[in-house]
Amino acid sequence: MPDVTVRIAGANGDGVESSGALLMKVAAKNGMQAFGYRGYQSIIRGGHVWFQVRVSDAENKLHSHGDQIDVLIALNQDAITNQAPHLRQGASVIYDPTKIKVDSLDASKYRLAPVPMLDIAMQVSGDPIMRNTVAIGATLRLLGIEMKVFEEVIKSMFSRKGEKVVNSNVMAAAQGYGIEGLGTIHQIKGDGRSRYVLDGNTALAIGAYAGGCKFYSAYPMTPASSILHWFAAHADRGVFFKQTEDEIAAINMAIGASNTGVRAMCGTSGGGFSLMVEGLGLAGMLETPLVVVESQRTGPSTGLPTKTEQGDLLFVMHASQGEFPRIVVAPRSVEESFYIAAEALNLADRYQCPVIIMMDLYISEHVETIEGFDTNSITIDRGKVVASNPEQGRFKRYLYSADGISPRAFPGTPGTEHVAPSDEHDEYGDLVSDALSGIDKYVEVRRKMMKKRMDKIDTMLKNEKVFAPGIYNEGADFFLVTFGSTTEPAMEAVEILKGMGFNAGVISFSYLMPLDREKTAEMLKGRKLIDVEVNYTAQLSQVIMMNTGIEIKDRILKYDGEALTGKEIADGVVPLVSRK
Amino acid sequence: MVIEATTKQVYSSGVKPIWCPGCGDFGVYAAITKALTDLKVDKSNAMIVSGIGCSSSMPQPFSTYGMHSLHGRLLPVASGAKLANHDLTVIGTGGDGDGYGIGVGHLVHTARRNINLTYIVMDNETYGLTTGQTSPTAMMGHKTKSTPFGAIEMPVNPLALAISAGATYVARGFSGDTVHLAEMIKGAIMHKGFALVDVFSPCVTFNHDNTYDWFRPRIYKLDQSNHDPSDLGKALGKAVEDFQTNWEKIPIGLFYQNNRPSYEELDITLKNGPLVKQGNPTKEQILGMLEENR
Repeated sequence: MPDVTVRIAGANGDGVESSGALLMKVAAKNGMQAFGYRGYQSIIRGGHVWFQVRVSDAENKLHSHGDQIDVLIALNQDAITNQAPHLRQGASVIYDPTKIKVDSLDASKYRLAPVPMLDIAMQVSGDPIMRNTVAIGATLRLLGIEMKVFEEVIKSMFSRKGEKVVNSNVMAAAQGYGIEGLGTIHQIKGDGRSRYVLDGNTALAIGAYAGGCKFYSAYPMTPASSILHWFAAHADRGVFFKQTEDEIAAINMAIGASNTGVRAMCGTSGGGFSLMVEGLGLAGMLETPLVVVESQRTGPSTGLPTKTEQGDLLFVMHASQGEFPRIVVAPRSVEESFYIAAEALNLADRYQCPVIIMMDLYISEHVETIEGFDTNSITIDRGKVVASNPEQGRFKRYLYSADGISPRAFPGTPGTEHVAPSDEHDEYGDLVSDALSGIDKYVEVRRKMMKKRMDKIDTMLKNEKVFAPGIYNEGADFFLVTFGSTTEPAMEAVEILKGMGFNAGVISFSYLMPLDREKTAEMLKGRKLIDVEVNYTAQLSQVIMMNTGIEIKDRILKYDGEALTGKEIADGVVPLVSRK
Repeated sequence: MVIEATTKQVYSSGVKPIWCPGCGDFGVYAAITKALTDLKVDKSNAMIVSGIGCSSSMPQPFSTYGMHSLHGRLLPVASGAKLANHDLTVIGTGGDGDGYGIGVGHLVHTARRNINLTYIVMDNETYGLTTGQTSPTAMMGHKTKSTPFGAIEMPVNPLALAISAGATYVARGFSGDTVHLAEMIKGAIMHKGFALVDVFSPCVTFNHDNTYDWFRPRIYKLDQSNHDPSDLGKALGKAVEDFQTNWEKIPIGLFYQNNRPSYEELDITLKNGPLVKQGNPTKEQILGMLEENR
């Protein structure tokens, strides 16, 4: 067993999430690898929720939350009923014998570990919520993790609440740890070097902060809300956050702020993005730099609000009337979310266009251990910003230029006054719409201005190296083709397939629009390809077809709201590569 | 650099607006120019933001900074501009369809935020640029292409709406009296908070009910009637007087003013100065943010 998957299951309000977070922190502090994911519903109390923490040795980086459960912490009877199908043979089941019946489980298949959690909790602290800590203590014993680090984590988490809370937590865990007959099922080896525990949204928010983002506007919507929580919590440290009346206001405020000279970002999920679409076109027309985060969840409409999907790709690529340059990018990991957020702000400024960062619930909300970030690699490039009018006369904000990028000036600067207009306009920003459209001279203006804007796509493709997929294990016999969050589980599938005797690779896209067609085609052609996506219509394969003419017929698609795991992908691959 | 504004030409870009001859919006243009001139506003520090509609070509003839945005969305755009740099003088200019129809939700929320903006609505009770359909401020019975049998919806009362939503400066002017209107706009620009100036700005092409001649005998000035603009209840009373008198008596002037702190004064980030002038984070600060996740 290379790693251990622990699932804590109960009702909302049982402290499932905080127990998961605690376990993640203990593993991270011990220098282990950990990956956590939460299954929940749109309900504040009750329902059935779980938090899965997969832990492995320091040198074994995890790429997904795992499949079958090795340790189940059952906090209520539903947890036994609902999670039984996910138990691996031989799994340990930690449960409170005074509250929960396990008759339905075959005792010969599982290690049943009765722990009188509630009794211990009441005896130690008089607070029933402490029963989770008892269970975590028992789990640490199963994983061979010493209590010392746990105590440090508890101190750092609860010291604000006073010594009594810290002590009762430690005592509760120690009692759980000491339950007779638990033993250690698998010794996880840490390297003692403490790691960060981050989810994709937090990594993205800090990346944006590092990249000089000073303005974030949003309306709450799962799974994008934790980005706004981060900005709101740090508003006393130079990042402005505004919760708006709707997503229409969120994007238009960000445009107003960006045009005024601050790096601005707004974020939402698919439903909110639908409302933002008109504003997206405004940014395209005004050539205002703008970063929009779209964290996808299961659609259409309200869909499954707390479940994941990659169903918005084509929508985001084509949202808005008319044509204008935009950049669409989907980070492939939590770590990449940090760097891409910072770089998106540079690209938006450099090409004066909207950049849409596509997250999804899986990458936005799952937590994983990360060793560190290269903050020295973060640079801030504001693009063609001028501090005075380079020419005589009125400022040409929309100057026809060979690369399509015109000089930009911030309000407050003397001599560069201009209007940024949503109607078609000439080099000064004067409208050529209502009174002038159709007149020969202005037909020419429209043609030239449209071309000027669109020329930025050629400039991006010429100057940036990012608009082509990456490849892993170049010499493989076949390749899993992915974008965004599906990439990590695909990497795991490669390892699983290796164990089964298959030589698989991954071709993965983070930047999806524009695409360097030649480079993309070159990488794909002549290779056996299997498209892997979390949606119904294989949208990435449609993008590939559109750009390269290459059709990927073999597909592994999932659209039930749950994330793909490495094992699922590997299981899907086998029949596709075994058939003759 | 402070530019001393001595003539009206300082604020002119030379671009002609699209309005029909006789349009009320010319009066509004003249009044804004007079207000900027009288207050000696630095044109490089002024930003005029519009939505879409006839009124929304307002930024074009000005030599200040400007944004011409989306139908109904000028308030969020203008808010973003002001929040990013609250040293700017930001003036929103739109119409009744723009501000009281498609964008009315933003009016409510911008008012309660009390962002230091001036919002001028050219209210002609019709949709001009789309060639004459009914508007949210059209009077009952008003006939247009979209209401050929007469409007059957109550008009919005923008002043009562703005006052109850928390706007801290609410005034009304008439584009047939630009001297008075300029005073209302000057008061709005000087006011520290969200200021609405609703302007009767007749559409000479599509609205033959609410004409200059219709307004003149009906309007009277609040400053000549012992109105106390600091009294919320009295302000609301005056705001509904046109409705109560079936538009026989229509007050113009300053209805309400309150000096509660503006959004920029209360916001924890903006207290440290305009956002656009705040520096980027240091490596140590970035690492500090990351360290919180250990």
